[in-house]
Order: sequence, then C-alpha cells, then structure tokens
Amino acid sequence: MAMKPRLSFLTVVVVLLTGIVAWASSPATASDDAPPDDAAVSADPVPFDPFDNPSGDSYGDEDLMLQAVADPLIGFNRAMFVFNDKLYFWVLKPVASGYRVVVPTPVRVSVKDFFFNLLAPVRFFNSLFQGKWRSAEGEFCRFVVNTTAGCLGLFNLVRDKPSFNPPEEDFGQTLGYYAFGNGFYIIWPLFGPSTLRDTVGSIGDWALNPVSFMQLVNVDAGELTSGTTNVVSYGVRVINDTSFRIGDYETLKNAAMDPYEAFRNAYIQNRLSKIAQ
Amino acid sequence: MILKPMIGALAFFILTTSPTTALSMEPMATIKAPVDAVIVLLNDPQYKVAGTKSAQRDEIWKAVKPMFDFDEIAKRAVARNWSDFNDSEKIEFTDVFAKFLGNTYIDKIQGEYHNEQIVYLGQDFYSDTYAEVKTQIVRETLKTPVDYRMLKSDEGRWMVYDIIVEGVSLVKNYRTQFASILSKDKPAQLIQQLKDKLAEQNKRLSEDG
Repeated sequence: MAMKPRLSFLTVVVVLLTGIVAWASSPATASDDAPPDDAAVSADPVPFDPFDNPSGDSYGDEDLMLQAVADPLIGFNRAMFVFNDKLYFWVLKPVASGYRVVVPTPVRVSVKDFFFNLLAPVRFFNSLFQGKWRSAEGEFCRFVVNTTAGCLGLFNLVRDKPSFNPPEEDFGQTLGYYAFGNGFYIIWPLFGPSTLRDTVGSIGDWALNPVSFMQLVNVDAGELTSGTTNVVSYGVRVINDTSFRIGDYETLKNAAMDPYEAFRNAYIQNRLSKIAQ
Repeated sequence: MILKPMIGALAFFILTTSPTTALSMEPMATIKAPVDAVIVLLNDPQYKVAGTKSAQRDEIWKAVKPMFDFDEIAKRAVARNWSDFNDSEKIEFTDVFAKFLGNTYIDKIQGEYHNEQIVYLGQDFYSDTYAEVKTQIVRETLKTPVDYRMLKSDEGRWMVYDIIVEGVSLVKNYRTQFASILSKDKPAQLIQQLKDKLAEQNKRLSEDG
C-alpha cells in the first residue's frame, strides 16, 4: 500500500514530461518574445493585417501584445534550450532516423494512431469543458469506430472525414479559453517549451490519460499501470512521433536569426491559434 | 534523346504557368500554379543526377519568386522599425532577406520532398484586396496546415505577404527576432548579420552541390 502514492507521483512526472515533449518535438513548438515594454513605448503602427484583427483594431498592436510572454527564467530557459537541442541532435534524431529506416511506414502510422486513440479522452473532455459539443461528438464517434473496427486504435478509419476530426483540444487550451494567460515561458528539459498555464494544463491532461487515470483511482492493472510501462510507452511515442518530423526542427532553427527567440515566438503563436480554434 | 521532348514539354509547362498569366487569376490559382510547377521540378528525373542540385534550386526559385511580395514581407517583418531604415537600406534589406528565405525553404523542400500531397482547402476574402488561401501538406498521413495571406497589387496581381504554418506567422516570427536585434543594433548591422547568414548558407549549399 505504501508504494501507491510514490508510483503515482512518478507517473505524474512522466506523463507531464510526455505531454511537453510531444509539443517539443513538433516544429511549431516554440517561442516568442515580443518585448512588452517595447510595445508600450513606441507608438508607430505595425502593418495592417486584417486577418489578425477581426475586432477592427486596424493595427497589429493588439496582436503584438497578445504574443508577448514574460520570460523571468530566461537564463534557465536558454540553458534548457541548449540542453534539448543537444538531446535532439545527439540522441533523439539518430534514434528516430534509425527507427524510421527499420520500421515500415504503415507500422509507424499504426503506432501513432494507437496512441492518438488512447488519448481520445483528453481531447473529448477538453472539448466538453469548452462547450464544443460538435467537437466532442466527433472525438467520441472517432474513438468508438477506431477502438472497435479499428482494432483498439491501430487503424484510423475516419482520417479523411472532417466531422470526425475536430481540432485537438487539451487542458492548456481549456484554461486559455477561460482567459487564463500564459503566465510565463518555461523550457522543460526533455519536454521542451511550455508556459505556466500549459504546464498546469499538462497535469490536467495527465489525469485524463486513461492509464494514469487508473493509477489515480488506484486500479491495479498490473504491468499496464507500472512505472516502467509508462516510461517505455512514452519513449516509443516520442521516437515514433519524431520519425514523422525529422528535419522540421532543423529548418526552423536554420531559418532563425535568433533561434531561442524564434522558437519562443512560434510556441506562443501556435498555442494562441489553437486556443482560437 | 528522349529527354529533349521532355524538356520542351517542361519549358512549355513553366512558360504557360508563369506569373505573367497570373494577372487576373484568383488567389488560389496564383498559389497553385507555382506550387505545381515546383512539384514537377522536384519529380523531374533530369535533376536526380548528381551535381544538378543548384540548377534545380535556381529553377524552383524562378518559379516561386514572383508569387511573393518581398517588399511587403520585409516591411511587415521589420514593422515599427522600418522608418529607421534609409532608402538604400530598405532595398538592400529586402533583397538579402528574400534570398535568405528562398535559400532556407528551397533547401528544405529539395532535401526532403517525398511525394507530399498539397490539398487546397479554400480561399477567404477579407476585402477586394486581402485574401487568404488555406492549404494542407500531407506527409505520410501527417497533415500540416499552411495558409497564404495575399494582397492584391496595384497592377491587380495577387501576391503573398505572409505564410502561416500551424498557426505560426512567418512574418511575425521574424518581427520579434528583428525587433530584439534592432533594439540593440542599427539597421546596417542587422543587414550585415543577414548577409553573414546568407554567405554561410551559400557556402554550405555549394558544398552540397
């Protein structure tokens, strides 16, 4: 009995990390530092882009303010940026590239679809939390079809049906939907860019992950809920996901004048666009 | 010898889909023509031979360059600091930035093109002069949304002033980077930094062939 809480804590940490890493490995995961004081000091308008400002603000200042994020941990974050960068080039990329050569594409797609289906409750409940009934319905129907006819999610049979594929929701977006701000920017070792809000969000998503939920309510499913299984499945998921995105991180980095700044801005922009969906 | 008619056909294709015909085209068609031309170039067996990479890069650049309004892209990326640039700095910056973007992204698609499919989802008009074309790049079932924001030029041509990939605006991403550089340095120094990056890039590209 004494083991239970420790195990759960470990899982929380692992799952938390998992979520953030998944973001980290996506190319759009990165960064933004529109200096907030700059926006306040200068009065020169930013070029008009009507698609940014449906509210009628004819200049981009509103948008610039939205994209600004506090970065009080910048020293730590820069160190973690370098750490994750090395981790990608020295470990993740070689492993994922080898994996990509050895494992045929249909298998990799099935692995991706399996984890995607397993995490359907996260997206379903977060759609509900935001009152997005249509999205929740789509998530639910896709989950039912793929879990049954799709052999526990190994096959996604409704990939090309728009109504079954609503925008993916997570708890960070739910918090954003209810007007929680980013708080501050933080780069986690292993898991990559996040903010205070999105880190709290990952804890929420952890609780909605079926495997961790079982641990949370102390259901003992043997190997399925063991810490080792969690770590291994997390690792497989990250490597598999990365195998579809090799080269994306490099391009973004090469395209940047200041990679730290570029990734921070990209992370904030990407999250903003997801919250707006 | 079989190559000759093929090159002829290709030349015909490129000519007929070249931007001069884009004059009265809808925003989506303005995107689709050069993108299709690029895919033809990427699949062209002529460029599967070693040492043809830079020729292919030049052809791709020729096909896509007219699609973009680089003056607008440069101005928007520099945003509020644009007035600190004098006229010759504006011209120089626009030129270097355009080449830098071209190099970066053409290198990426050349290196990693594996029969990705481009899906055209639709076009939205904000007004007579602003439009957005929504597309998706599909790579091994992974879908990446790419939106092109376009402005109608005075001559009536639709041209791209921003690209949004997974919700991330390219222009705004550079805007924060340039703003932080320009908060410390002069426009001339930013131009020099871009030139250095471009030179570094060109060196790497020429080593790759």
